[in-house]
Amino acid sequence: MIELTNLKKQYGARTVLDVPSLSVKAGACVALIGANGSGKTTLLRILAGQLKPTDGTFSAPQPVLYLPQRSYAFRGTVLQNVLIGTKNKREEALSLLERMELTPLLQKSARSLSGGELQRLAFCRLMLRESALLLLDEPTSACDAHAAELLLRELQRFRAAQNCSVLLSTHSSAVAAQVADRCVQLENGRISADGTPQQFCTR
Amino acid sequence: MDAFRQAMHLLFTLDDELLQILGVTMRMSFFSTTISCLIGLPLGTLLGTHSFRGKAFLKKLLHTLMGLPPVVAGLLVYTLFTHYGPFGSLHLLFTVRVMVIAQCLLITPVVTGLCASYMEQSAAGILETARGMGLPAGRVLLLCLSESRTSLLSVVLSAFGRSIAEVGAVSIVGGNIQWKTRVMTTAIMLETNKGNFSFALALGCILLLIAFAVNIAASWIVKEVRYD
Repeated sequence: MIELTNLKKQYGARTVLDVPSLSVKAGACVALIGANGSGKTTLLRILAGQLKPTDGTFSAPQPVLYLPQRSYAFRGTVLQNVLIGTKNKREEALSLLERMELTPLLQKSARSLSGGELQRLAFCRLMLRESALLLLDEPTSACDAHAAELLLRELQRFRAAQNCSVLLSTHSSAVAAQVADRCVQLENGRISADGTPQQFCTR
Repeated sequence: MDAFRQAMHLLFTLDDELLQILGVTMRMSFFSTTISCLIGLPLGTLLGTHSFRGKAFLKKLLHTLMGLPPVVAGLLVYTLFTHYGPFGSLHLLFTVRVMVIAQCLLITPVVTGLCASYMEQSAAGILETARGMGLPAGRVLLLCLSESRTSLLSVVLSAFGRSIAEVGAVSIVGGNIQWKTRVMTTAIMLETNKGNFSFALALGCILLLIAFAVNIAASWIVKEVRYD
């Protein structure tokens, strides 16, 4: 269960996040939607422990995995990137990369990948790990429709296997409708709407 | 041109004194650069990647120390290691060891400051991704250092450059003693004072050649591996 109470983030006098209360059930998938600068990334970064809130408290299940909007391609091949920090996961990695249609790029330098390929690679790096909470910041923003489909299918498989909670930010109502159980809309750092993806799609 | 010819002549005739001066210079520069990097790189990484109370003050202090005049560093170390100083009993004054200590005082802030600046500006993406992958802190740090090795090499080379070219501190604490603590820079200064300009220029050419060779060797060590 994720619980947020009076969570605030300010930069000087500017408040970028102000959430009085939010709770997410264990195993749920919540899509954070909202315009640029609405506070989605700030909220995810706070939950990931990458940013300290100015005020308020939160509790989140551990371990947490976080996929930033622009992931970094480490030195080495695609396969070496996926295997960073793992032990005896080579076979699992190969099968994952095959499902994500990255097999032809296995021995390529990760730095030579396109934006969409890198986004899929960064996602694969998380899929080989244990997680109770998965935080994804616009995970399909650089992907074409087919690549996004592959990524979301893998996300569902990961959720089912690990029964983890997922918070993902997105601008796509299709992505929210496909994977989320609930949508939370942020506007100027505040929650402006909270409901099912269907309710948001019919607006 | 005469100076260059003389430099080549000195090198290829294996002049005993020149070789001894070269040996002391390289030994001093190697140890001072290594010690400074062992202290400065982890400190700079911590400073560049963590937020804590007093960080702004620490950075200002570091920037001040980066501009520490070598003669002041030399004087400070001289005061500490002179016969009546707190470390006088160690009898290190006018030895290569004390020259290394003085150089560490000068170079460590440079290494720390340059490393911290790099980490603050360029390593944010590496850290965000690595931490997001749930890697332990030690692994994140190692990954960050490994990913930044080309940039950190520039920091190491800057440290080496400052060490090999430094004259003020080493002449005060080393004393420029023939066959003992004379290094390339103090030898150049001595030859210039004696009016032996072409010999001084020849030594300068050798110093440049060493710096060039070290740069080539360092670039080769960290050259990028291609995977395609």
